[in-house]
Amino acid sequence: MKIVVAGGNAEAEYIISMLKGKGTELVVINGSKEVANKIVKRQKVPVYVGSPWRRYALEESNAYDADAFIALSSSDTDNYASCYLAKTVFNAKKCVCVVSNPTNVALYQSLGIDSVISSSYLLGQSIKNESSVEDLFKTLSLENGKIVMIEAVVLSKFKMANKMLKDIHFPSYASIACIERFPDIIIPKGDTYIQPKDKLMVICRSQDQKRVMAFIRQED
Amino acid sequence: MKNTLVVIGCGRLGSSIANYASQSGDDVIVIDSDEASFDRLDELFSGIAKAADATDVDALEDAGLPSAREAVITTGDDNVNLFLAHLCAKKYQIPYIYVRFDDPDKGLLIQGLNVKAIYPFQLSRDRFSLLRDGTIPGEDK
Repeated sequence: MKIVVAGGNAEAEYIISMLKGKGTELVVINGSKEVANKIVKRQKVPVYVGSPWRRYALEESNAYDADAFIALSSSDTDNYASCYLAKTVFNAKKCVCVVSNPTNVALYQSLGIDSVISSSYLLGQSIKNESSVEDLFKTLSLENGKIVMIEAVVLSKFKMANKMLKDIHFPSYASIACIERFPDIIIPKGDTYIQPKDKLMVICRSQDQKRVMAFIRQED
Repeated sequence: MKNTLVVIGCGRLGSSIANYASQSGDDVIVIDSDEASFDRLDELFSGIAKAADATDVDALEDAGLPSAREAVITTGDDNVNLFLAHLCAKKYQIPYIYVRFDDPDKGLLIQGLNVKAIYPFQLSRDRFSLLRDGTIPGEDK
């Protein structure tokens, strides 16, 4: 696995510390000499000093054919240009572009960047989800909020408790991916019984989240 | 709006293109984040000057960029220019798009798009060759 980490400061160092070793070929490019020195010293990885949106910088740092190219600089357009160059000229399989302006998420995706991440966008999504969720439910947004994974604990007063999956007519717009029944993980089939205290991992579209939760929460 | 020319980046090149187009009778809109840059527009400029960040898409839309016939992109940042060229070509499908790049390698990233690029570096080099050959005299403007 070859990963290019382009730009950034503390966030770059954190990602490098997570990815280094483990059979990963890391290419680190940073425009700041000070940040580069800090990363070399603390993470013991080589750092190419240069601008990742320049063709010669990606050439000289051998950033060809990366499995992932991660652009972390503080300028959204610099990250856009770096990702576009990596994708079209250096054959990067997947580009991750970090942006500070959340409205750039959808825009950059529409212009051809695979994955655009904004911390305020993610924060907004999770606040939106959490405000609609009560204590028994946790949710995780996937695919930029298009899909949600709901974690729901079954209570004995729920209508679905102690019934077979095929008998509860679980809605067609959602799917129970797995059930955690401590210490086991069960991949449910039609004849699986749903028991109190089971933790259901349910996948659905984000717009269906509320009605899925309402369905699970039905009481006898 | 149909015959509007939008100039993004009112530096020396952008302002000079805006002045020229305005005097030739085009409807011109100039966008720059720095209002002081509009001092470069001369008294005969009869278009609209809007102060807006070139990377703020909502502001560009308010300024009328999506319905422009021509877009001239001349901010001082190549990466902003690249983004704007892609935006104008892919999202707004503006019929005529011109972009200035200091780095000639940026040309690789607009291949296949309806975008024409201007490279000051190449123009200077070509002019140097002509001057050196004596093909053109040195003192003309």
